[in-house]
Amino acid sequence: MSDLNIINSKINYSAVWILAKRELIGFWRSKSRVISSLAQGLLFLFVFGAGFSSFAITIDGVPIDSRAFTASGIAAIVILFTGVFGGMGLMRDKMFGFMKELIVAPVSRNTLMVGRTLGIALQTLMQVMIMIILSIIVGYFGYDLSLIWRVILILPVALLASIGIVGMGLTISTRLRDFQSFGLIQTFIIMPMFWISGALFAFNSVPSFMQIAMLCNPFTYSVDLFRLVLLGVSYIPLWLDILVMVGFGTLLILIGSRSFNKMEVT
Amino acid sequence: MNNNNSIIEVKNLIKIYEDGDVLAVDNISFDIKKGEIFALLGPNGAGKTTTINILATLLNATDGEAKVNHYDVRKDPDKVRKSIGIVFQEPALDTEMKGWENLELHAILYGMSKKERKAKIKEVLKLVDLEDRADTYVKNYSGGMKRRLEIARGLIHEPAVLFLDEPTLGLDPQTRRKIWDKIKELNDLKMTILITTHYMEEADFLADRICIMDHGKIIALDTSENLKKQLSGDVIDIQFEKIENQMILPQIINQIREIPGVKNVSFGDIKENQNMMPMEMNLPKNMPHIDPAMIQARIRDIMSSPKKLLDAWKKFPMASQMFLNAPLEAKKRISNMFDDSLLDEVPEEIKSEIIKIKKGDYENIEQDFEPKLSISCESGGKELPLIIQKINDNNLKIKNVNMHQPTLEDVFLHFVGTAIREESSDRVKGIKNLIQLRQLRK
Repeated sequence: MSDLNIINSKINYSAVWILAKRELIGFWRSKSRVISSLAQGLLFLFVFGAGFSSFAITIDGVPIDSRAFTASGIAAIVILFTGVFGGMGLMRDKMFGFMKELIVAPVSRNTLMVGRTLGIALQTLMQVMIMIILSIIVGYFGYDLSLIWRVILILPVALLASIGIVGMGLTISTRLRDFQSFGLIQTFIIMPMFWISGALFAFNSVPSFMQIAMLCNPFTYSVDLFRLVLLGVSYIPLWLDILVMVGFGTLLILIGSRSFNKMEVT
Repeated sequence: MNNNNSIIEVKNLIKIYEDGDVLAVDNISFDIKKGEIFALLGPNGAGKTTTINILATLLNATDGEAKVNHYDVRKDPDKVRKSIGIVFQEPALDTEMKGWENLELHAILYGMSKKERKAKIKEVLKLVDLEDRADTYVKNYSGGMKRRLEIARGLIHEPAVLFLDEPTLGLDPQTRRKIWDKIKELNDLKMTILITTHYMEEADFLADRICIMDHGKIIALDTSENLKKQLSGDVIDIQFEKIENQMILPQIINQIREIPGVKNVSFGDIKENQNMMPMEMNLPKNMPHIDPAMIQARIRDIMSSPKKLLDAWKKFPMASQMFLNAPLEAKKRISNMFDDSLLDEVPEEIKSEIIKIKKGDYENIEQDFEPKLSISCESGGKELPLIIQKINDNNLKIKNVNMHQPTLEDVFLHFVGTAIREESSDRVKGIKNLIQLRQLRK
């Protein structure tokens, strides 16, 4: 028998909604977060987009606009950064005591988990859209009417991609005790996932050991699917992209809710 | 149970923490009646918060039964949670949200409809005088306002009982008084309140009944009046001048006990123990002005656990300075909290000091040992001369004598001072065996 007394009731959807809303309001209100995420996006776009434009990227001998290539990769990367850090917001609640108010409420812990995941996923989605729209405005994707349905189609893809990442952030923050381990997470999880995802370079332009490393990184598949939707360019079969994304998302949400249910708040 | 008047029924409750074999709650039973203020009083680590956490369905009890509003905490946690409002020891507000938003989120979590919510939020805000601050972000609230907002939040879903865990910890005296008045006001509105505190005067002022806990056990449970009556007569505090041979003290205590009319002799003085840190310590000049009471409360909290102390030492150089300058008695007590494994984490400077104290390096230098006795007796005027005579017989010098009516503090000292303390690990083993036996029988 465990020390904790956990409610096992069903998911309470009005509670899920208010918790998700809280994440969104919190994001909107902290202007520094909005501004820094915009600035970071612009920086990435111009530095990487312009800087990497000198490399020629080809698939099956067909040249591809490298700026569009980089921009779509960066749009996917936004999910990685905002998703993990959004999940880390749980740390703040734990440290500043608000978590207690939540866990003593007559709702199941799964409700709390779903609400938070949804909120951060929506927030991530907003940031991805901002990034894509910025890229379109500066002309990286060219001006083409097909962009409209591409952008619409990217919404479910981004949502799917963010579920796993948010789950990862939540899992990490239920286990961490203080902010000091934050740097470790940054160095050993986020950065490798970022650099080895192929967001900034083409899959077929790197040596084979690197390709293997990329295939081991679950986020590679999200980046690949992003490119397929936004550019029509892909290195990995569509079914494999979706399979890995769904699998990764499910796995991390399960792990996340497991450790969330075990979390002690004292 | 036949007593329908009880909001909370606790029966033979036991809590052993799985990691570390800590017996936090040791077979306690009590009832809380509708409409009363019930105080759990005891020093840090007495098991008050564990008890409240079990009643709030945050923790599972190891054994025993607890009912809140006639619902079993284990079988119906959902309903129990809806029956209680809880204000935690430390603030549990979302500071990035406005006051009313905190309340709204709470109301939705507790399943209230939009119409109910609106009316109720308005009502509770008015109750705690925060109507005009509802639109302010909580991060801009003062400590007292935060507490009041939390009390308001605890009341939104119309709970049957309100739990207040150390509601005035860390608040300045005026704010404290205001919170007390609010609590009284709530009680006048027929709200049942369970409060934990380690301030005697708080329990004395607020509670209809007081339950004194120590080491996980209930050592006394009655009204404040009756508890004091148990100590009818007078209390004599005697402070000695420095004593060279400490071995003489137990002997004297025994001699005084034998005097007819003397009921109890306890050693030490609670107030002094709590105010171990000298208040006139030199604060750095650039420190902003903070209420001394707040600092005291904070320090007391930190000194309650080795973990918190370690944290403080690592983060604030001032904390380690304070330790090094603390009176020997305080240092000794802190040293005893650290065993060898914990000692490794202690900063060097402090570690060497603790080792010195543990080895007893300071025993000889100990010049200013001025013990204090607290004696409760039937009639002070009669026994005092006899007591003084005994002390004179032993060639001890008295520095100060003070005779007064018993306060709740004396009551506390009376009970805590005489409670039998066995080796706790043996006790845990005994209880564990007991539980195993019970489970086998089932």
